[in-house]
Amino acid sequence: MSAPTVEAVVRGHGAATRLVTDALAVARPTSPSAVVVPAVPDLRPLDELTDERLATDVGDTLDAVLADVRAVLDGAVHRLVFVLPAAPLMATAGGAAASAVTGGVLSMARTLAIELAREQVAVNVVAVDPRATTVAALAGQLGVLLGEGGEAITGQEIYLTAGTDLGRIRP
Amino acid sequence: MTTTHPSGRTAIVTGGAGGIGRGIVRRLAADGFTVVLADLDETAVHEAAAEIGGRVEPHLLDVTDPASRRSVVARADALGGADLLVNCAGVLRDARVRRLEPALFRRLTEINLIGPLALARLVGPGMGARGGGAIVNLASRAWLGTFGSTAYSTAKGGLVGATRSLALELGPRGITVNAVAPGFVDTPMTDGLPPEVRRRTLDAIPVGRAGRPEDVADAVAFLADAGYVTGQVLVACGGRSIGDPYLARAS
Repeated sequence: MSAPTVEAVVRGHGAATRLVTDALAVARPTSPSAVVVPAVPDLRPLDELTDERLATDVGDTLDAVLADVRAVLDGAVHRLVFVLPAAPLMATAGGAAASAVTGGVLSMARTLAIELAREQVAVNVVAVDPRATTVAALAGQLGVLLGEGGEAITGQEIYLTAGTDLGRIRP
Repeated sequence: MTTTHPSGRTAIVTGGAGGIGRGIVRRLAADGFTVVLADLDETAVHEAAAEIGGRVEPHLLDVTDPASRRSVVARADALGGADLLVNCAGVLRDARVRRLEPALFRRLTEINLIGPLALARLVGPGMGARGGGAIVNLASRAWLGTFGSTAYSTAKGGLVGATRSLALELGPRGITVNAVAPGFVDTPMTDGLPPEVRRRTLDAIPVGRAGRPEDVADAVAFLADAGYVTGQVLVACGGRSIGDPYLARAS
């Protein structure tokens, strides 16, 4: 008999929030779960990254991610997934601030996976690409990470990019 | 081993009075750079510059202060402009995520991530106008994840991410951007570790010793002149990141 479905918490205001919500409606998580979708800043050339913009785009954004993480950990989650845009995660010209955020969240996820293992919380990153990631693709992946057996996967980054990142060095 | 380069190149090294930073300044000065040794600690800045000697210019720098950042770049401009920026200033003070104060998290973001990005923005145009240069960001092995290090690893991971995108953006201007990720390095910052933690850490390092500031300086010096290497992370950890880092799973 399969485990009953539970509702997952979604935090954050990133561009993929709707995609995540739609995918979770299909994914049927069976463990108490949270999905954090950081609001990654838009691409902007380095020359335009003023001190004020760095403070908001990078500083405030990462602060918000930490607040979201703290909020979901105050609950009894067993699975935590960050959904990030693949392009800045992999690197893109004009994406210094966006990559600072996505790279920061990736390392945060790795550290949380190590730290929270003793609490049986699995933490992973899913990278999405609007050109390649369908609701079905994300639902399938979230179903694995948030479902039965998902506890065996932690500290990983999974690219739902249909191979568009092949041939590149991952961060 | 040091290399003699054509004279006239200028480097900025932030955090240059600290353990790793001082080793980098010493190496770059020996390699022929005029080095702006920039640090927050006024006494240490002058003491380090005097100890190293040569063409080392002490300069007070608070990497979180925009005016201070502009000041250090102006100092380099007065010397002909920065050919090399080494973002070494950093703070390692942290806590497990459940105990982490948001103010500390923000402070580490500002010092370890936003400061280096802002300095890259300030030196980029000049470097490009002079035909190119190099930016080397001091990341950390913590970028791969480290127990009890949420703020530090987030900031250093952010720096790695930014390094990669900056490499794509600044490459056409002749500027390379790379990162060095040191592991456990003997510095005043690590002197206070409990003996048991230190022993377990050393046990996890395949080369059998702690890193030295000159090990990190070697990596920085290589990247300073490696014009066809960009967007990379050079991990200088004695092999710890290949084997079992051990401390990562400490209970």
